[in-house]
Amino acid sequence: MDIFLQQLLNALSLGGTYALLALGLAVVFSIIGLINFAHGELMTAAGYVMAFALAAALPFPLAIALAVAAPVLLATAMERVAFRPVRGASGTTLLLTSFAVSAILRVLFQNFISARPVPVPMPSALSGVINLGPLHLGIIQSISIATTALMLIGLTLFLNRTVAGRAMRAASEDFAIVRLMGLRANGVVATAFAISGLLAGVAGLLWVAQRGSVDPLMGFLPVLKAFIAAIIGGLGSLTGAVAGGFLLGFIEVTLQAWLPEAWLPYRDAVAIMLVIAVLLFRPQGLLARKTVLKL
Amino acid sequence: MQDFRQFGKTAWAGSALLALPLVLVAVLAATVLPASGARLATLFLIYVIAVLGNQIYSGNSGIMSFGHTSFMAIGAYASALLTIAPAAQATALPALPAWLAALAGQPLIVALAAALVVVLVVAAIFGLPIARLGGSAASIATLGLLVITHVTLVASTDFTRGSQTFFGIPRGVPMALVLGCAVAAVVIARLYRSSRGGLALRAAREDEIAASAVGVNVVRLRFWAFVLGALLCGASGALLAHFLGAFSPKDFYFNLTFLMLSMLILGGITTVSGAVGGTAVIVLLVDILRRIEAGGDFGIVTLPPVFGLTDIGIGLVILIVMYRLREGLFGVRELDERLGFEDAVTPTTQPAPVVPPGPGNLKVENVGKTFAGLTALEKVNFVVEPGLVTGLIGPNGAGKSTLINAVCGIVPPSSGRVMIGGQAVAELAVYDVPRAGLGRTFQNIRLFKNLTVLENVRVAANSVARPDEDTAAAARAALAIVGLSDLAARIAATLPYGAQRRLEIARALALRPRFLLLDEPAAGMNPAETDALMEVLRRIRAEHQLGLLVVEHDLKLIMRLCDRIVVLNKGQQIAIGTPDEIRADPVVIEAYIGRKRAAPPPQTPPLGPALPAT
Repeated sequence: MDIFLQQLLNALSLGGTYALLALGLAVVFSIIGLINFAHGELMTAAGYVMAFALAAALPFPLAIALAVAAPVLLATAMERVAFRPVRGASGTTLLLTSFAVSAILRVLFQNFISARPVPVPMPSALSGVINLGPLHLGIIQSISIATTALMLIGLTLFLNRTVAGRAMRAASEDFAIVRLMGLRANGVVATAFAISGLLAGVAGLLWVAQRGSVDPLMGFLPVLKAFIAAIIGGLGSLTGAVAGGFLLGFIEVTLQAWLPEAWLPYRDAVAIMLVIAVLLFRPQGLLARKTVLKL
Repeated sequence: MQDFRQFGKTAWAGSALLALPLVLVAVLAATVLPASGARLATLFLIYVIAVLGNQIYSGNSGIMSFGHTSFMAIGAYASALLTIAPAAQATALPALPAWLAALAGQPLIVALAAALVVVLVVAAIFGLPIARLGGSAASIATLGLLVITHVTLVASTDFTRGSQTFFGIPRGVPMALVLGCAVAAVVIARLYRSSRGGLALRAAREDEIAASAVGVNVVRLRFWAFVLGALLCGASGALLAHFLGAFSPKDFYFNLTFLMLSMLILGGITTVSGAVGGTAVIVLLVDILRRIEAGGDFGIVTLPPVFGLTDIGIGLVILIVMYRLREGLFGVRELDERLGFEDAVTPTTQPAPVVPPGPGNLKVENVGKTFAGLTALEKVNFVVEPGLVTGLIGPNGAGKSTLINAVCGIVPPSSGRVMIGGQAVAELAVYDVPRAGLGRTFQNIRLFKNLTVLENVRVAANSVARPDEDTAAAARAALAIVGLSDLAARIAATLPYGAQRRLEIARALALRPRFLLLDEPAAGMNPAETDALMEVLRRIRAEHQLGLLVVEHDLKLIMRLCDRIVVLNKGQQIAIGTPDEIRADPVVIEAYIGRKRAAPPPQTPPLGPALPAT
């Protein structure tokens, strides 16, 4: 039972990070149909800013604030420069554009920062362990779970209680109608990118805190998994993305715990295969948005 | 694929036209080019094979695949395990299982064939779930495949040396083998594009719902294109491995995928010509960028090494294509189609397609539909008879769309059944409904926009044709009925509105249906176009004895056209009868105009020309 609880906490922490990433992808996808490959680079950018801020001996809270602000700015800039010219184009066009943006950003990181990992000296107070009876809960892990919960609650409140949030939800249902209602399309899209940048930034910090370093490829694998989480959830469904993220976290942690030693290197492959198998039975994803069939 | 004539002359001409430059490159490489040029030529031919593999799936289905690079990796490792020199094998792969170790030292061609078998199996396993997905979700699933393959190759250290370099295979590939594979790839890709399956898949790329409605099993076609493309990529991977002589899993990961995609989209993803042209341009561009990237003296300027210039260059090429040149350098039509090798489209004087009279009627029996407790439709009963026009009318929200969806098998009814002859159609897959004898058109026109007028109709003709039948003739006959023979070679999206509506009808007629469902055929038409449409419908009905089911808001048109009218209101069938009976029916008048106005006994039939046509 204790082992089970322990694993459950691990799964919540890992799945939470995937959920934040997948949610960031879904917020943008639901509105303009873009699968943003460059989401991982937003994560990486947060890591770099954190690394430099800490290296410059800035106070920790300020470092965090800067590290979260950077991907928000980068995401909105990306939207303005790279994605606005192709807005409204087919999904494939959008996908390829973001693919190219992601590759270019990676090379820029490699050339202007470093191809090697840059250490992120997190305060030592974060590396401890809280012992709750038989449970060992890493401080970073607990922060990670708490942050995820806070972000999800905050975003839910934003989407349900504020005008901008309601406009975003409406836009994810039917962007054309929202524009007809007189809301500014550019504003809604920019907000979506800012939110996805924020989510990527927070996820990036949680990721960096666990790894202790950042390199140009850091964001790549987690975001790839977040893509996959978003499709099991049902692309474009915000709740689906969160559910998919947690599900993927649970699958990975379970595999890590129960796969035989010799099979561990295959963990990611097995996890993704399980997900693709889910799609055999639910091609639309688990929580696909119900689309009205109008012919 | 039973008959080679199905590909048409232009596809064979196109294959030859595109194979020619490949042969030329190979000859130049073997004769005049310096060693570095010859290497580049070989690399070009190897890449062409893989890019064509990507084109077969992505170009025809419209789904971008990131996963076909996996099949290059699988082809590379599977063939290398067989060609590895036994002496090198002992050092490089000491833990290889004995049965596999004993197979080492095979010639390349044997290893290539074996690798293709492995690729076939893996592609079939992953193709099954991926074929069921569409659009972006499918793209992400192929990305998953790429990661799975990479992780597996890195983890299987006993077979692959993990992330370390795999070595010990004979380096170099005979030009004859590379050229043979490249030419075969061009022919396969070009013929596939024009084959019945390829045409149907392209139709589904343009409009999946309309493709299903003309009998195309989209999932099955996606699966076969996925597997066929994988085989080409596998062959390319095996050749690339031996060209390089030493490689590791990262050589078949994102950078290669990125390179392949840029080649594919620069030329234009929808054509084979584009794939070949794009590959040539990118191979040259990358070669130049690599030289600059390495730095050094260029005569006039001396450059420092710039890390990643190639990736930036490719990235910019992709962005430029996406911003300025979305259809690529070669556009949406093949070179051969542009150069006029096109099979001549002659207006036909042939008799119209023979419609077997076929037994029975289309019967809607007790059909009802509930959505989560809400009753959208209840106990609808009527019969559509051959040679008669049945109209279906009702105010908004009456349940017309629900009924159409039930009849076409899109959303099966909760109760009751729809019968054609003796066959229940509602339970059939959507793509089987046309073969049961029911064709349809759509409320908002759904054409295959980037296909020609003739191709649009041919997709439908193909799905009901015998394997050896010349469907072009059947398609032309259907076009003649609606008066579009002269426009057969036009791209469908360029037709005027009324002609697009008539093309949809021709496409449905090419299914040789016994019953035709027309969903608001006159919507948005001007009076002249409506009259032309009425003429076409009268002819279809008189000459071919089709049973028409027409859903329409234009009551004037309905009253003029129909023999019998069914009226729905709030999910209930409130009336059925001849136009005169319907005009006089107080229940119908009440549904359309409301109780108060309808209350005084009508002196003159209030419905009819006086009603506003909406």
